Amino acid sequence: MTYWIDVLNQALIFGVFALSLNLLMGFAGQVSIAHAAFGAVGGYLAGYLAQEHGWAFGPALALGVTAALLFGLIVSLPALRLAGEYLILLTLSVQIITLVVITSISALGGLQGLAAIPGISLFGSVLLTPQDFLKLLVPVLVLVFLLMRRIAGSPAGRVLRGIREDELATQSLGKDVFAYKSQVFAITAGLAGLGGVLLVYYNGVVAPGMFGFSVSMTIIVMVIVGGSANLYGTLVGTALVVASGPFFQKVIDLSLDKSSLAQLLAYGVALVVVLRFRPQGLLPEGVTPGALAGRMRRRPPAPIAKRAERAVPRTAHAAGAVPARVLEVRGLTKSFGGIRAVEGLDFSLERGQITGLIGPNGAGKTTVFNLLTGALRPDHGTVLLRGRDITGLPPHKIARAGMVRSFQDVRTFAQLSALENVMMGVAGQRGERMSVVLTPVPLGPSDRRTRQRALEWLDFVGLADRAHEPAGSMAFGEQKLVALARVLATEAEVLLLDEPASGVDKRWSDHMIEHIARLPEAGRTVCIVEHNLHVVQQLAQKICFMHEGSVTAEGTMAELSGQERLQEAYFGSMV
Amino acid sequence: MILAFVGIDSGSEVLQALVNGVINGCAYGLLAVGFALILSVTGRFHFAYAFTYALAAFLAAVLERVYGLPLLPAAAAGLAAAAVVGVACDTVVYRPLAERAGSGAMLAVFVASLGIVIAGENALSLAWGPGPRNLTGIGSRSINVAGTTFTTLDVISVVVSVGLSGALWLLLGRSGFGREIKAVRANVQMSTAIGIDVNRIHTAVFIIGSLLGGVAALLYGLKYAASPDMGENAVFYALIVTFLAVSSSSPLRLLAVGVGVGLVERTAGIWLSPQLSTGVVFVLLLAFLSHRSLRLALGGRSLSIGAGRRWRALRGVAG
Repeated sequence: MTYWIDVLNQALIFGVFALSLNLLMGFAGQVSIAHAAFGAVGGYLAGYLAQEHGWAFGPALALGVTAALLFGLIVSLPALRLAGEYLILLTLSVQIITLVVITSISALGGLQGLAAIPGISLFGSVLLTPQDFLKLLVPVLVLVFLLMRRIAGSPAGRVLRGIREDELATQSLGKDVFAYKSQVFAITAGLAGLGGVLLVYYNGVVAPGMFGFSVSMTIIVMVIVGGSANLYGTLVGTALVVASGPFFQKVIDLSLDKSSLAQLLAYGVALVVVLRFRPQGLLPEGVTPGALAGRMRRRPPAPIAKRAERAVPRTAHAAGAVPARVLEVRGLTKSFGGIRAVEGLDFSLERGQITGLIGPNGAGKTTVFNLLTGALRPDHGTVLLRGRDITGLPPHKIARAGMVRSFQDVRTFAQLSALENVMMGVAGQRGERMSVVLTPVPLGPSDRRTRQRALEWLDFVGLADRAHEPAGSMAFGEQKLVALARVLATEAEVLLLDEPASGVDKRWSDHMIEHIARLPEAGRTVCIVEHNLHVVQQLAQKICFMHEGSVTAEGTMAELSGQERLQEAYFGSMV
Repeated sequence: MILAFVGIDSGSEVLQALVNGVINGCAYGLLAVGFALILSVTGRFHFAYAFTYALAAFLAAVLERVYGLPLLPAAAAGLAAAAVVGVACDTVVYRPLAERAGSGAMLAVFVASLGIVIAGENALSLAWGPGPRNLTGIGSRSINVAGTTFTTLDVISVVVSVGLSGALWLLLGRSGFGREIKAVRANVQMSTAIGIDVNRIHTAVFIIGSLLGGVAALLYGLKYAASPDMGENAVFYALIVTFLAVSSSSPLRLLAVGVGVGLVERTAGIWLSPQLSTGVVFVLLLAFLSHRSLRLALGGRSLSIGAGRRWRALRGVAG
């Protein structure tokens, strides 16, 4: 019996590691092979303080967790701008270096570690047997699980999933992606530190092997096998992985060293098989006991008054003393190497107007959008939004200042539902702040308002009845509408729409044009980049013609189409 | 006097460190040449390179010591096994995964690759025991030059590393087949359009890469010993050299960077314990990555590096 309780305790401790790694890797999409190293920082520090300086469990735990958290924060700094293989390499280096440094500190026992970690005394009694430890480990795992579930299920968790799906799109909706990444690295590293401290106290020893590269890999196996971005799956995955050792030992009756080899062999095979045949893991994202129960009595989405003519949902744009020129761009210049993509661009947007930005391929239209919204930093020039200089601000600040863009290639968050995509756009959500999520205040009411708001916008583009479908499974035209609703939901005054009607068939593009045409009545100022002159003619009051990086002509379509120069640039010389 | 001041006992100690650095560095370079070829042409983060590496040397050692085969057939069998497993990794695991995972392919392939390493290493240990096994068959004498000592085996190892890197360089630069490989590396869609069978090129690249790694492993096994987990450290070095040199650079450049890494590690070893001098190499990689990250921050790009591929993939989908 004690044997199996010991197994359970190990599962509880590794549950702490795996749940936190799932928040980082499964939800936020940040791969980390350094999770065991963060555990080492916490575990070694607490173990050292307890053994050599007689610290009590409480303070040693607190300091261990804090140190791991700070270490995570430091590691996150270079990690912010790295993705894919670079992030893997970075965390791999951190894992190796951490262990190398720890084992070379003689006070920490070198390769042997420290072997006389005192026991934990809790409420006056010392925890000795595995049964005693249950009293500590069960509540800890429950707390960590609830914390992870709260973060993952909050609006902040939605942003994390957005970062996983598409970082740039998340930024363009006004979310401070780098801040979120730092926070999630720090929080999950702190929790790995907690796991490390528990592991050290539970075993009564601390040694490098407890936190090596293979331990990091084992934690990854737990997350992937259980199901990425599913916390219940992680519990299942952890239990399976931890129980596989005893299974080989007790059930198959292998010797101790053979069983540990067989266990590792099984992990490896499980990892490959799961990825190959069930990449979403045993429990895919979104499958929870609640959702399974709810499937039987699913309520229809919140009813929306069906109107023959859907009004543009109201947004609060104080007209007031703002100048009529909402956006003013002067002398904007950007070179890539020797190529001047944009050169001395002057251009302005009038309040409540739709302006079309046209020009041949390579004229620099999309680059202008990238420069205006901070995805690229201009070499020269100024961008004034409602009189305020926003040149060179990062994308999320520009979005919050009131200018938001859409993308030529839609960039919807594929694994989020259409509704969640639009909810990501809704501005000023309290529950998106990690500091709010970490305090015990109810998030439900404000998120229901966000949901209602998002549904209104989804209804505006005519997709309210598809709200719960994953955006990635929708037709390209529908995704463009979702992306439009998402941009509209930000309530930004200035909307930059990059080829909103391209790549979709006529039915959808008519639909799209109809929606965009009605935006000025809600006080929106719109600039569209579009190849289809027919679309531009229908929508835009003013047209700017771009050629080789600057605006060379301005006026109505009728005025411009008479100009020979434009015809030449667009259609080549006719003569 | 000055040498003593900076913690060096004698000039010959430095010279010896440099010689060792070049010898080890050539091995790192050869490892990286194989790994980088696979990464740059197929885009697969083939961490299981660690397993094909170990398989080549460990199987050869088992065949030689347990089944009494002479070195050459044993080595050939080891290399063949490495090539077969390398190709199987791609065709059975990575290719189907990548086709389904789309933009997340890199991560899925990497994690599956980790699984292959864990499974493979432990399968070898279960079959023949986890302990290290010696490869013998090449006699090795020590050579003394200018106060430094090395062995004939070290010379062979350097010559083989340089020779194979040079051969790959010639293959890529001079042959039609090599140009096809480079075409796939530069642009998969265009290569398909002009009639190159991309899957065939991937298979070829996995064979070449696994063989190069396998040779490096055999040389290591001859010098020290072969064990099932010997590939982990090796693949770390391959990674470091590959990323410091940029994966698509020429084999000769990779070799040179490998030598650089070897020299840094060995010179650091004059002052630091062997344990810490391994760490120094990783610090080098960390510094390199932080530098890239910082440069991007100053350059005002808002997109993470590495996310660029995903971005391009998405643009491709959007047409």
